[in-house]
Amino acid sequence: MSWMWFAVAQDAEAHDAHAAAAARCLDGTPAGVLAVWLAEHRPKMPAVKVDARIVQRDGDQALVSFVLAPPGVRLPFDDTAVQQARRDVIAGRPPRALSTLLRGDSIFAGAITVDPVGDDPFARIFPARRLIVGAGLFGPVPAHPGPDIERHGSGGPWPYPTFDTAPGQPLVGT
Amino acid sequence: MNPALRPGERFPDIELPDHAGNVRRLSELVGGDPAFVNFFRGYWCPKEQAFFRVLSAFQSEVEVAYARIVSISVDPPEVNAAFRAGLGARWTFLSDSERRYLDELGLRETTDTLNHPYWPASFTLAPDLTIQSTFNGYWFWGRPTMEELRQDFRAITRELRTDWEVPAP
Repeated sequence: MSWMWFAVAQDAEAHDAHAAAAARCLDGTPAGVLAVWLAEHRPKMPAVKVDARIVQRDGDQALVSFVLAPPGVRLPFDDTAVQQARRDVIAGRPPRALSTLLRGDSIFAGAITVDPVGDDPFARIFPARRLIVGAGLFGPVPAHPGPDIERHGSGGPWPYPTFDTAPGQPLVGT
Repeated sequence: MNPALRPGERFPDIELPDHAGNVRRLSELVGGDPAFVNFFRGYWCPKEQAFFRVLSAFQSEVEVAYARIVSISVDPPEVNAAFRAGLGARWTFLSDSERRYLDELGLRETTDTLNHPYWPASFTLAPDLTIQSTFNGYWFWGRPTMEELRQDFRAITRELRTDWEVPAP
């Protein structure tokens, strides 16, 4: 499993989610329920793709930098702004976990950074919120080894390899 | 050079803390890509600083071409993290501050009795850690040029990618 569906939902909408946790702003204001569904169970509400590795149902409560594209804005994943944010993430100290959000196969929809270290490079692209996300949703993922900034947007959210293949098989594409 | 580290041999799948202090295994970092693995004396060495400036410029090619770089020294993770940040490097640095692999790999620089570092050996590796080339950087000119790394990455990638020849429509 390389990716899952992700959406900000209301309680009732998340009842069939694979994992979900309530989120609140740093001032305590409720910020909805962050929920994920397996790739084969697309939810009825608008959803985007997230790297499945950050989803861990035994994960602890976490501080999350949540970047989301404004409605109607469609930025290609290979835009130089997204590429530079990716470089900056790899160059810095690694957060506990990170996934970009992908709309369709090639549109950058935002990013989730779990326990960010310093500024969130993706927050230079679209507005970011800092949220406290309850336990049961996000867990640690080893830092991306780098350096890579290969062409993306062919179906998988970075940093998960875009060009999925069976284990041991060469990647297809350049 | 340790005869176990000759071209065609399998490089040991060593396990060390990265620049953030998280233990990483070499095979995990290499993943499915060709890799350049270099041992270096330490951040303090002017020769290393010169070489790493060139390597940092080279990373803009490496990052778009499905290849990896891993750098290893006896400096602790926080020192490697600072060196890496100063260089603007975007690859993983490993720390063998306990000098766990110095003698096992036969890469101890015996002439430096002050720092007890690795001598600047470097390797290009296939994804299964098979050694493609070795470079003896004890003298600076023994280090690989970026052109030599390009040639090795090309050779490994050509073997690795079944679609090296453009797939027919």
